[in-house]
Amino acid sequence: MSKSQTRSPEAELGLLDATMIGMGAMIGAGIFVLTGLAAEIAGPAAILVFALNGVVTAFTGLSYAELAASIPKSGGGYAFVREIFDDFASFIMGWMLWFAYMIAGALYALGFAPNFLELLHVYGVVPPPDQVGAVAVPVIDAALPLAFLLAFVAVLGLVALNAVSTAASGSVETIFTIIKVSILVVFVAFGLASPMFSGAEFQPLFPQSSGAAAVLPAMGLTFIAFEGYDLITTVTEEVQNPRENIPKAIFISLAVTVVVYLAVVTVAVGTLGAQGLADAGEAGIATAATSFMPTGLPIIQNGGALIVFGAVFSTLTALNAVVIASSRVAFSMGREGQLLPSIGQIHHRYGTPFVAILASAVVMLGSVALPTQSAGNMSSLFFLLSFVIVNVAVIRLRRERPNMNRPYEMPFYPAPPLIGIALNLLLTGVLVEYLLRTDPLALALSMAWILLGALVYFALKRVREQSDREQAAAATEITPEAED
Amino acid sequence: MTSDLDIIIAGGGRVGFQTAEILADRGHDVTIIERDDRIVSDIADQWIATVIQGDATNPDIIEQAGLERADVIAALTGETGLNLAVCLAAAELTPDIRTVARIDRTGGESYTRFVDAVVFPERAGSRVAANEIIGSDVQTLADVTGNLDIMLIRVADDAPAAGKPLSNVRFPEGTLVVSDANGERIARADTILTPGSSYVVAVEPAVVDEVMHLMRG
Repeated sequence: MSKSQTRSPEAELGLLDATMIGMGAMIGAGIFVLTGLAAEIAGPAAILVFALNGVVTAFTGLSYAELAASIPKSGGGYAFVREIFDDFASFIMGWMLWFAYMIAGALYALGFAPNFLELLHVYGVVPPPDQVGAVAVPVIDAALPLAFLLAFVAVLGLVALNAVSTAASGSVETIFTIIKVSILVVFVAFGLASPMFSGAEFQPLFPQSSGAAAVLPAMGLTFIAFEGYDLITTVTEEVQNPRENIPKAIFISLAVTVVVYLAVVTVAVGTLGAQGLADAGEAGIATAATSFMPTGLPIIQNGGALIVFGAVFSTLTALNAVVIASSRVAFSMGREGQLLPSIGQIHHRYGTPFVAILASAVVMLGSVALPTQSAGNMSSLFFLLSFVIVNVAVIRLRRERPNMNRPYEMPFYPAPPLIGIALNLLLTGVLVEYLLRTDPLALALSMAWILLGALVYFALKRVREQSDREQAAAATEITPEAED
Repeated sequence: MTSDLDIIIAGGGRVGFQTAEILADRGHDVTIIERDDRIVSDIADQWIATVIQGDATNPDIIEQAGLERADVIAALTGETGLNLAVCLAAAELTPDIRTVARIDRTGGESYTRFVDAVVFPERAGSRVAANEIIGSDVQTLADVTGNLDIMLIRVADDAPAAGKPLSNVRFPEGTLVVSDANGERIARADTILTPGSSYVVAVEPAVVDEVMHLMRG
């Protein structure tokens, strides 16, 4: 051995691991954090919201499956679009996807905080979360809100962990996902059996003020919950027999996720009621659980604690996943020369894309200051836009490279990508309109990020051209001697 | 600027495929053009490269392989004439592309008037065969290393590992830096990875990509 330290490379992932990576990201935090917010907008129709989002996202899933099977590259949506579009379009795609993941990180961190407080509350360490806020009020003037601090610390901790060690392997992710799903199954089982559910009232399905139209903005907000399969395609190179396993993993994880979501949301709405869920906000599921889970159990004392623990665990693992995902997008962009080259380098001592992780951390830490709902909206907005581009990429690839070998071809082409584009654009439109009315700050920040991207792109292009010219000049000076 | 190359390989048979596999392991982007249905499907199973199915002399097909963005085209089919035609067509369409053609006889060096480099796989193959026949205790590297890659790697100026002592660089498991800068001594913990100098490194295929990231940037 050459007397230097080593690390183990990542293991090969099977179909189960790939599916679990996707489910881990989708079942991660979305269900715990966003259910309450969806119920606030759409009432009991929150159930419908998640079902419809599953349908919308399935069309883009087909496109991802076809691209992942025919373009053997890890790196997710960005890598595919890079293969097909010119410099600027692929840069913007990467730039948006990078942001979507970073903001998702902030969202999960913000979801982690109230659930963590709820967990402490269940064990009697702190008063109920709403009272924590109340108690803290006099302090806030001088200091920062407790939840904000918690979110900040969570991001900082996971960023530090990922910056100095290589990512957790797929098998760990598999175990994490199984834990999360089991906890949700327990939740659903107890919920269905509880007397609160037998008297469940799903009427009126839609909120009286806005009617069925309320479903659309709620779909926009919760769309981010389904972004997980992009994550599957960022690790394709490590998956065995990817031409078969990647499309399968995408469809299985999506289908299972939708089923789990529907069961959980139905139980949550059935027990706590849409209003109760809405009041609980980011801790909606956890609050619902505490209301009907048995108490007086050994060790965990309170059955609700198990679900609250699930929420804390899920938000943390999902946060970890997007820290990795966002840095991978930045890393690929750096390697392609679309961001500073240093972002595309791995650190000599840690073996991680160190600079890419730090760059992502800055934005994530900054966005923890946003309200949860704004973070959800912005992240969803950018996922919707990048999914539109992915669908366009499939169509363009079929037209421009008809002879390309496609081990997986989607059925009924070109209907799925066209429907995908239309539905994603529809949701984007609804979301933008909704943001204009309720959250202009989120919209302004989103626009600012895209403008910043355009600036960065042209600035980097200038720098590159200049250094190319200098190199060319240097080369012509040396040539006569070199040819001697 | 990117340190990974965008490479088109015409011909996905034995030579083309093996070459693509090695290049993909090192982190380069490879696109293969292949006519034969069965071979196309075999390559797809391995998932190392994008495959365009068709005749590599057809300009339409070469264009689909992303010629305008490619750094190198290597024509590695079994037919010398076809390989030269592919290289010439590619150079015509994209003048600054590097061209490599497989040839089928010795003394084909005169072809370098038309292409940037020629490859004669049979020569390497016959060396291996000679080694096997003699069964000697001393064999050339190409033969004995099996799946291991034993490479001479020049450290790039702006690589993450440049200028660092070996003890400070955490290579992935399955890497062994064998020699110091001048190849005069075995590498030790305090061996500095000097930019511009070359080192003999033994690497398992799974981590070649990462070693390249560290030493080449």
